Amino acid sequence: MTSKEQHSSSFRDPSGYIFIEDNILKRRILPIYFKQYYKLKKSNFFDKLFKFGLLINHKEVSASDTEIVICPEQIPFITYPYEWSFVQYKEAALFTLKLQKFALENEFSLKDASAFNVTFHNGKAIFIDTLSFDFYEENTPWRGYKQFVTHFFGPLLLAHYHGSEILKLISNFIDGIPVKTIASMLPFKTKLNPFLYSNIHLLSKFEDKHNEDYKGEAKVTALSKKGQLNIIESLYSYIKKLELKEQSEWGDYYNKTNYSDNAFNLKANIINGWVNTLNAKTVIDIGGNNGAFVRRITSNLDLALVCDVDNNAVDNNYRQVKKNKESYMLPFVLDVLNPSANIGFNNTERFSFIERIKDFAPDVTLALAVIHHMTLSGNITFEMSAHFFASFSEHLVIEFPKQNDSWVQRLLKAKGEFKSHFDFYSLKNFKSDFLKYFTIVEEQSVEDSERVLFLLKRK
Amino acid sequence: MYFLYFDPGLGAMVIQAIVAAVAGVILFSKNLLYKIKIFFNLIKEKEDLFDDITIKDTDIENKSNSDK
Repeated sequence: MTSKEQHSSSFRDPSGYIFIEDNILKRRILPIYFKQYYKLKKSNFFDKLFKFGLLINHKEVSASDTEIVICPEQIPFITYPYEWSFVQYKEAALFTLKLQKFALENEFSLKDASAFNVTFHNGKAIFIDTLSFDFYEENTPWRGYKQFVTHFFGPLLLAHYHGSEILKLISNFIDGIPVKTIASMLPFKTKLNPFLYSNIHLLSKFEDKHNEDYKGEAKVTALSKKGQLNIIESLYSYIKKLELKEQSEWGDYYNKTNYSDNAFNLKANIINGWVNTLNAKTVIDIGGNNGAFVRRITSNLDLALVCDVDNNAVDNNYRQVKKNKESYMLPFVLDVLNPSANIGFNNTERFSFIERIKDFAPDVTLALAVIHHMTLSGNITFEMSAHFFASFSEHLVIEFPKQNDSWVQRLLKAKGEFKSHFDFYSLKNFKSDFLKYFTIVEEQSVEDSERVLFLLKRK
Repeated sequence: MYFLYFDPGLGAMVIQAIVAAVAGVILFSKNLLYKIKIFFNLIKEKEDLFDDITIKDTDIENKSNSDK
């Protein structure tokens, strides 16, 4: 991509847009935003934001009367809100409130509060929409308030009552879950809580009422800065305490695996050895649970993507990232049987997982204890999974649990009378299908288990 | 001047005075409760994954840039 054209995901805000030049993402700022930009720059507010790691760093490339071009620090892999675990989502929400408070204290205000303005980079949430800052006008309410409720507060609240799966809804409601929908899905008792009543139920009623005000007759009530800070602070303290009700199912997966500590260590050592020999700098672990195997890699990785279908595993991983300040680890939620699609206008606003991972092209892909789930739960043939894995990375470390493995047996039993249909699940067939796309570099059985590890190289 | 490139929701703009008032009462009573608890020594320090809303100087990550 060398086009100077407006990027297909950047059209909502007339203040400017991003574009890609020589594979580098840049941002063009238009005269309508010059006043804000220069004030942000000259008052050192940009510098403050960079210093505290709140906004993605940028450098001014050129400035004329008609356009300013800035070049932000490049983020190698963007994750979207519908790929965040509950704890990550919560972090992004708290982060946005924190940022708005900080902006207000410096006489600025976020003009929107879209969840897509935040992503995870260097082990933490960061704001990526440089043009979201505007001047704070005395006594005006927060324009981003409704968006904050529909993008952050509502989804988190619903996840608290209905489980983390709710967080995926935002891939269908790209501009937030409608307030009415949020209100209708909350239990009755939330109406008795003054905080939830005012922020959700009453908001829904007001929105309904004013929807028919086509002439714009209603007057926007004044709100002092103190008042706005009250809203922001109360949202912060409420969200900070929000937890999921669901019990960890896979979160402590490694306590109930079917192989011994010995086999676990052997497996970790083999993987570490191979990744080291490849001198890999970037990794994706598909079905990586809480990142246990990636953490056992001793070479210096620039970036390790660790995705899993289970929210609790990703939560567990992200908690470790936060606690240990691991900047190279990027956990996210992904169902390999249904990866994120291209969505938004023209289907080009948010990119599919496949498109992003092909762009990122990690040096090595780890697929540990995942092929039996793909094959036996997802009915994905070996040929299809081989094709999939070969599409984005040069090397593949894959673990094959043999037919006698207890997990495999369990999955096969669930097939009932169709069990014989899955007789093709064997090491021999696996190898012959994968060899259409890969060559075998190394092959090693894991002692004390029914599993074989392969290091494959794409043909 | 604001650029109205998205609908902030008229209802949402009008309602904020009420939300702020409710929030004010909640924050005030929480603060009061907190002070009472401190007075009676009922607060236990526990480790928290998330910080406070206020950004402090200790949050500076890029120490080398900090004296620019």
